[in-house]
Amino acid sequence: MTTELTMAKALNLAMRTAMEADNKVILFGEDIGKLGGVFRVTDGLHKDFGEHRVIDSPLAESGIVGTAIGLAMRGYRPVLEIQFDGFVFPGFDQIISQLAKVHRRTHGSVKLPITVRIPYGGGIGAVEHHSESPEAFFAHIPGLRVLTPSDPQSAYSCLLSAIRSDDPVIFFEPKRRYWDKGVVDQSQAIADPWRARILRTGSDVSVVAYGPMVKTALQAAEASEYSLEVIDLQSLSPLDDKSVAESVQRTGRLVIVHEAPGTLGLGAEVAARIGKSCFYNLMAPIERVTGYDIPYPPSKLEEYYLPDHDRILFAVDSVMEA
Amino acid sequence: MTIEIFHLPDAGEGLTEAEIVRWLVEPGDSVLVNQMVVEIETAKAIVELPIPWEGVVWAIHENIGSVVPVGAQIISIDVGAQPQREPVLVGYGVKEDALVTRRPRRESTHRVKPVLAEVTAKPIVRKLAKDNAIDLSTVVGTGRNGEVTREDVNAAIGGDALAPRGSQDQLGERIPVRGVQRMMAEAMVASAFTAPHVTEWVDVDMSRTLEVVERMRVANSERITPFIVVAAALIRAAQKYPRINSSWVDTTEGADVVIHPFVHLGFAADTPTGLLVPVVRNASAANLLTLSAGITEQMEKARSGTATPTDLTGGTITLTNIGVFGVDGGTPIIAPGQASILAMGRIMNRPWVVDDAIVIRPIMQLTLSFDHRIIDGALGSRALASVAKYLADPALEELVLKD
Amino acid sequence: MTTARASPKSSNPAVQLLTPEGELASHDTYSLILTDAEYKLLYREMVFVRRLDQEATALQRQGQLGLWASSLGQEAAQVGSAFALEKNDFAFPTYRDHGVAWMRGVDPMKIMQVYRGISNGGWDPFEHRCNTYTIVIGNQVLNGVGYAMGLTLDQSEDAVITYFGDGATAQGDVHEGFVFASTFDSPVVFFCQNNQWAISQPSEKFVKSPIYKRADGFGFPGVLVDGNDILAVIAVTRTALERARSGAGPTLIEAFTYRMAAHTTSDDPTRYRHENDLQNWKLKDPIERLKVMLARNGIADRSFFDAVDAEADTWGETLRTSVRLMPEPPPESIFDHVYTEKHDVLDAQRAAFIEYHEGFADSGVH
Repeated sequence: MTTELTMAKALNLAMRTAMEADNKVILFGEDIGKLGGVFRVTDGLHKDFGEHRVIDSPLAESGIVGTAIGLAMRGYRPVLEIQFDGFVFPGFDQIISQLAKVHRRTHGSVKLPITVRIPYGGGIGAVEHHSESPEAFFAHIPGLRVLTPSDPQSAYSCLLSAIRSDDPVIFFEPKRRYWDKGVVDQSQAIADPWRARILRTGSDVSVVAYGPMVKTALQAAEASEYSLEVIDLQSLSPLDDKSVAESVQRTGRLVIVHEAPGTLGLGAEVAARIGKSCFYNLMAPIERVTGYDIPYPPSKLEEYYLPDHDRILFAVDSVMEA
Repeated sequence: MTIEIFHLPDAGEGLTEAEIVRWLVEPGDSVLVNQMVVEIETAKAIVELPIPWEGVVWAIHENIGSVVPVGAQIISIDVGAQPQREPVLVGYGVKEDALVTRRPRRESTHRVKPVLAEVTAKPIVRKLAKDNAIDLSTVVGTGRNGEVTREDVNAAIGGDALAPRGSQDQLGERIPVRGVQRMMAEAMVASAFTAPHVTEWVDVDMSRTLEVVERMRVANSERITPFIVVAAALIRAAQKYPRINSSWVDTTEGADVVIHPFVHLGFAADTPTGLLVPVVRNASAANLLTLSAGITEQMEKARSGTATPTDLTGGTITLTNIGVFGVDGGTPIIAPGQASILAMGRIMNRPWVVDDAIVIRPIMQLTLSFDHRIIDGALGSRALASVAKYLADPALEELVLKD
Repeated sequence: MTTARASPKSSNPAVQLLTPEGELASHDTYSLILTDAEYKLLYREMVFVRRLDQEATALQRQGQLGLWASSLGQEAAQVGSAFALEKNDFAFPTYRDHGVAWMRGVDPMKIMQVYRGISNGGWDPFEHRCNTYTIVIGNQVLNGVGYAMGLTLDQSEDAVITYFGDGATAQGDVHEGFVFASTFDSPVVFFCQNNQWAISQPSEKFVKSPIYKRADGFGFPGVLVDGNDILAVIAVTRTALERARSGAGPTLIEAFTYRMAAHTTSDDPTRYRHENDLQNWKLKDPIERLKVMLARNGIADRSFFDAVDAEADTWGETLRTSVRLMPEPPPESIFDHVYTEKHDVLDAQRAAFIEYHEGFADSGVH
């Protein structure tokens, strides 16, 4: 079935589909029930599935993640919501110390099929702690999978795959894109979310982005005088650098875009891998267009921090003129 | 947020004041450039006035019916007003997508990159140069800021006469040594500077050899050359003095001299692709005719480029004919891994002493270089002398050897 | 829909000195004597704090603020508890405690900076002995306890008051704060405004036992107070502060009140609570009851109340204009104050940033 949906509705549909298929799937988080979530992503699910499957939790992220681990051990398939990126940190301990390690520790006996949904990224004019990009912290931890969609279709496909995965998945939702509309083909659920996808083919420069910056990269490509190939990484862990390498082998030039601060961000990992695998294909140094190494600024100044199409095009100029 | 104040303009024709008739906008309205915002009445007519900015109406300063002088403030526009945003729980909300166009850059902001390396070249170009033994500093770069491009390196490989970087000398030629030639050069160096070479020579009266050559030509359709007879002589000498057909092998205990059971004769062949040394295997088992056939076959292969690596390796002793170039002798370099090499010079009539009389005989010089680690002076001399003795009377030697 | 409790479960253990009807009440343990001037001051401050809240809400509707976290209905809890503080005491507020910041002397324009998106902090905590707003739930409780621990080490007679809501009592930080303060007998007052709501969740769902009773489990006293009764709030807070200063350790105060508005200006409370709740709580309005008491006891009259309103009107207009005209900091200021010392990486990024922005054709730089 194909419909045009906002990303928020596509995520909602994915959860509904998963819950209809498997009654062990439960939702757990703050204000997700009656309120339907602060961005309405879980709207209507409490009404249709009841308070035992869509559970409002106390205000405690460590509690949410920690108890979900126990629920998973009891056979449930919890889909958690952390209300905002900047609030995940009380739960970081449980995620690193337990969620990432239990399967290994028990030599495979215990599986934790938990999805942790986290709205992330800036561009919504928010107060402090609501525009963070902490994905690198999680992609850096073995034992976790990290996924981030960029449009309604990938939001639907990726969330369904995340819920169905038996591994713990940290699922980053680009909140500034919640209202973007796009076509969602439900039969596309089988599309592989663990691979990067090429959204626009080009011959001059490979532009790699993920989450909220994918749309920005596509806008830059539209406005560019050069032929840009835009790649949506989608899976941050595992990282599909092979797809990126195939592209760079054709273009010889790479620009990586993300909101998170540049130092030790995902861009650094992609650059290191491609620098090695494509050393003899590169015609220019690899460029990264990222947030600066500063705390996220107040909302009136966020436009100076966030990468935009102008900054991407500036980097494209650099690699083309190298 | 930036407030622009609009003053009643001087419309010319002596206009000094006007009455506000009607406002076409109110505070909070969005306005575009040149949008009409007010109707005024002058002494002459009712006119509409356009606003020169885009933004949101901030305030209206004059009421309907007011008579205002030219220059008075009548309306203010907030030209820095943000586009409409739908607020969210925690902030202003997302900005609506305007049409995305690139904000123009100044022309002059092309980067001036510091020169980090003496030679600028991309990694793949560096690799290309290195693989082909090209020194990048000697290649003229035709890329941006003197960067050496792939084309520049390819041209250098192809041997085009590009002037060396920074050189004043436009004469001469630079020929790259690569591939097989480079390997041979390296082998040459290895041999020359590892084995202590001793070279001895002797002159030989070739008249009996030439007789044999002539008689065999008459008796067979096969044509054998003096070269073939010299080869036979060398093979017989190797059988008599096996140390000249051996190899010096370094071991953990020191070294071994490996005496080869067979003579695999290598002989220098001048081919279109350069010097090759094809090998006739097991030459010691051959008689003159089969030896000749073998040599001819290998020579053909080498000249036509169809020689295989097996054809070109495994030799245990080498013969080289420098006489074809019109010279007599020299100091040949032993092929790597072998113990000796024999060079034959040209056959030329010279004065010779026979029975105390001076006669004219076809004389040829033989040169033997040998590895002094393996072969001492006595042995080397005896070996060379036995080659000379064979050539002095090949038929007799063959008969003798048959025993 | 959920209807919140209209009064505490137990037989009104809440300390109350001023009823919703404006009657003075007595209490076994707590009492308060104020001068007329102080009563009028308290009234005026609450009116201004409410006006600040109303102006800010309106400004948000006009797009002048990104959001506003309303303190409507909680004026007595905030103004009263802050009124009890000495000059050198230190307050650690949440992000909704505008009455506290106001009483500590923080210029409201600085609070506006935070909600307008000009600054993440707004003011210098040391200038007003009031920390900047903390948005991560519960963090400030630990920070406040730490400051109090420092006071102990300094053998100071100052005290700390740290604020948090009912929702926050689920967070680990708050419990850890209780443990640490109890362990070290820290001079801290834990002031919990139970305004009944954590966004959409009613407090009764997650608070199985009254919040103030938890203190018992941690080894210090807890007291429940009518949060809309400014007199009781002052009395209870003063006692807790004295206890803290004496070295006896922390006190937990639960101020029972109500969040009259939404969680923030873009929240829609009709999704999760009923209009009836609001009507019930309107009858317990903190400002109204004080007004009645002042009038009934001849402490203030109509002209005083009108004068305060008029003053608030004028002040409100100034605030509106000032917010609209608030200047934005220069873009490169995003690199300021990340570190205390020189930082080469950031210096290089700042320089590249400036160069990049000056490189636009319309940047006005030549």
